[in-house]
Amino acid sequence: MTSRRNFLSGAGAITAAVGAATVSKVAMAALPEPVIQNRPDTMPPLMPNTGRPYNPVVTLNGWTLPWRMNNGVKEFHLVAEPVVREMAPGFKAHLWGYNGQSPGPTIEVVEGDRVRIFVTNRLGELTSIHWHGQRLPNGMDGVTGLNQPGIPPGKTFVYEFVARRPGTFMYHPHADEMVQMAMGMMGFWVTHPKGQHPLIDEVDRDFCFLLNAYDIEPGSATPKIMTMLNQNIWSWNSRIFPGIDPLVVRHMDKVRIRVGNLTMTNHPIHLHGHEFVVSGTDGGPTPKGSRWPEITADIAVGQMRQLDFVADEQGDWAFHCHKSHHTMNAMGHDVPTMIGVDHSGVARQITKLIPDYMAMGERGMKDMTEMEMPLPDNTAPMMAGQGPFGAIGMGGMFSVLKVRKGLARHDYRDPGWFKNPPGTVAHEYTGPAPAAHRQAPADVQPGDVEVQVRKPHHHQH
Amino acid sequence: MRTTDRIHGPGVRTARRPAALLLSLALGLSGCATVATDGGLHGVQNQMPASAQAILGQPASDAPLTWQRSAEDRQAVAQRVAELLAQPLDAERAVQIALLNHRGLQAAYAEVGISDAERVQASRLANPGFSFGRSSKGDEREIERGIHVNLARLLFMPTLSRLGDQQLQQTQLQVAQKALQVAAEARKAHVEAVAAQERRRYMQQVMQAAEASATLAQRMAQVGNFNRLQQAREQGFHAEAALGLARAQRAEHAARERLIRALGLWGAQTAFTLPERLPDLPATLPDRPEVEREAMAQRLDVKAAVAATESTARSLGLTRQTRLINVLEVGGKRASSNEEPTTTGWEVSLELPLFDWGGARVARAEAVYLQALDRAADTAIRARSEVREAYVNQRTTYDIARHLRDEVVPLQQRISEENLLRYNGMLIGVFDLLADARAQVHSVAAYLDALRDFWVAQADLDLAMVSSPSLSAPSGGNSPALPASGNAPH
Ligand SMILES: [Cu+2]
Repeated sequence: MTSRRNFLSGAGAITAAVGAATVSKVAMAALPEPVIQNRPDTMPPLMPNTGRPYNPVVTLNGWTLPWRMNNGVKEFHLVAEPVVREMAPGFKAHLWGYNGQSPGPTIEVVEGDRVRIFVTNRLGELTSIHWHGQRLPNGMDGVTGLNQPGIPPGKTFVYEFVARRPGTFMYHPHADEMVQMAMGMMGFWVTHPKGQHPLIDEVDRDFCFLLNAYDIEPGSATPKIMTMLNQNIWSWNSRIFPGIDPLVVRHMDKVRIRVGNLTMTNHPIHLHGHEFVVSGTDGGPTPKGSRWPEITADIAVGQMRQLDFVADEQGDWAFHCHKSHHTMNAMGHDVPTMIGVDHSGVARQITKLIPDYMAMGERGMKDMTEMEMPLPDNTAPMMAGQGPFGAIGMGGMFSVLKVRKGLARHDYRDPGWFKNPPGTVAHEYTGPAPAAHRQAPADVQPGDVEVQVRKPHHHQH
Repeated sequence: MRTTDRIHGPGVRTARRPAALLLSLALGLSGCATVATDGGLHGVQNQMPASAQAILGQPASDAPLTWQRSAEDRQAVAQRVAELLAQPLDAERAVQIALLNHRGLQAAYAEVGISDAERVQASRLANPGFSFGRSSKGDEREIERGIHVNLARLLFMPTLSRLGDQQLQQTQLQVAQKALQVAAEARKAHVEAVAAQERRRYMQQVMQAAEASATLAQRMAQVGNFNRLQQAREQGFHAEAALGLARAQRAEHAARERLIRALGLWGAQTAFTLPERLPDLPATLPDRPEVEREAMAQRLDVKAAVAATESTARSLGLTRQTRLINVLEVGGKRASSNEEPTTTGWEVSLELPLFDWGGARVARAEAVYLQALDRAADTAIRARSEVREAYVNQRTTYDIARHLRDEVVPLQQRISEENLLRYNGMLIGVFDLLADARAQVHSVAAYLDALRDFWVAQADLDLAMVSSPSLSAPSGGNSPALPASGNAPH
């Protein structure tokens, strides 16, 4: 996969500085030059070279926004603008975002930093930014009409406040926010603790991503902004599997994964092979005594969770939302269930009319993952991804935690598939078949069909 | 004719010279008129203008116009028809068969034969009769020798002969028109029959799609994946498709029978096969801004009307022609304004002579002649309108067919392709795909209807250029080319 091969290659060159065309030169002199990102890959952590030191995060399929120090103030420049986001190889979405991507860049600061953020609006309508979860002056909270006037198109507003409490945060518009968030406007914010913090352990690898969802008609590129719950694209940082990079960690690393939910439904985020604790929420770090081991954390709408664990089990471990249709890409909700339906004869009849027709779903939907059939333009297959043992058959909110021995400290490159020690992979049983002890089945008459279970038609949450 | 010589005195004088003169004249006249061996059909062919070729499929002089008068003739024609029917029947062969075989046309051919015979009869003198009488009145002997010749007939012989010729010409013009109409009818019936056959084939495909849907739905219900409502809906499509197919079959049968009648076929002859499809739409359609003028110069009904005025004038003895009038300009105007150049109201003319009527003696002649002029104008006006209608029909049916072929059908095809991609991605189900196949077939069927309409309009126009066509009002019963709404959910 291209995106994985290019993982973390030459980050400096990739993060190109592009002059803001609509902002005048005079105004530009006073503003930090906006940095525009044109790649959807996971960028290496941005090591701080000014200001207070901290241990940076890695944004999954994203990047951290560089800043400039101006008389002790950290200055950032966000540009709200339409973007083309590659959500998976072969599938590009027309979204709104910040600085070339959706979601926007992660902003990393240190507890106590004075932060000044310039926000330039290159959209066709006014916008604003709400700094979700921050302690700040009321006039900096970003709710249009309530705390500030909206930022008109073509104008730059400035926000300034002190990052008072350490933790995991998000930012998003609070002007026409239903539309603007449905279009992908959001970003991550991490405030690192100043020095040692009793409740915030230092970790070796710190990942973050946002949960987001879109409704993009297969074959088109722009989200349907009026869709409230039946989104067909369930993404992490506006990426869908197999477009989501793996989370690569060194064996025995202390790992933190920060997740924020800006969709309109909850997501039970589930990790295989390890137990984690929720070390922080929207409100900050959790008291140690309140933490208990979990393997699934349900992240409600508008919430953030910080999952800590030690990567003490080598292997390739699935990491995904546990709503099974959220690990699917665009799919038809009204496709009739074909399971158990004999296609013999009919298939031939249909082929006479539709030569490229292929019977599917007779046994289930796994067929989908094994047949490479042409799809509408700009459409990711519903279930995709190849693993060492065949088709993975996943999409949406799915990735892999790769735990390996002997990785360098800041090496996030994909190490390939795990080499399982001999005899540790499930395999076919070839011994003698034991006699079956089964009860006689109940006599079922044709016509008195019992209720049969099938996948739900609609996504209800 | 009777001559009486009165002989006074002993000598007998006979005056025979004038009688001999008349006799020889009569014999001479009758000697030059004979019945045509082909029943006058050569004259029929000669009446056809060059553009009749479009309908006949060959120059008029080569068209197989034969009057079957003997068993051998009929045998030969039956054999030729059998030969033509041996291969799939295309439009050209259908026309040949109609010309050879159409009994109504044969009856019309007989009309020419009758006219020809009458013409010949008209130019013949009844056999002269002789009488000889002798009477005496005293000394005076009166010898009466009579040579009975119908003098009136003899005197009017040239006129009668000319009338016979004119009568024959009128008949030939009528029969030529009849032949062209039969040929055009054969063409149209052929187009309809091929189209109906193709349409039925497409309806069978729709039926197939519906059958597949119904079968699948039934199996879905059997294993518990469909409820009765869902199954009944698919069954409904099937029932509807069966109805569509039955209608298409009926239409096919009716169209074939109409073709059979147009060609005058019966018995084993009716077992012919038709080509699979209609000829494609021509790549281009030439502009013909002069159709009205051309038609006026060529149409046989106009020619017949003009000939009738001439014949009327002659029979009325009208000779002193004063000027020519354009019968189409009677009541016509010149439209002019200050801003625009003067345009002539009539570009097409049909000029006929006007005569000096002289005294009141000819009041009746004047009325009769003017009546003939109005009839000619009536024919000409009708002809112009017919050719305009036929021309516009031909062009619009062409445009419609081309639009369907180049826009609607490819669009439906693209929809189908996109839907198949959606099916591949499990975004839609097989029933949507089958519904889409039905829609695609319908769009192709709509094109076929349009192609049929074009070829019918073409035959009408070809006929309208040379004779009066039977134009039918445009049919509004064609199926919609695209479904009213998108058929596939997402
Ligand atoms: Cu989910």
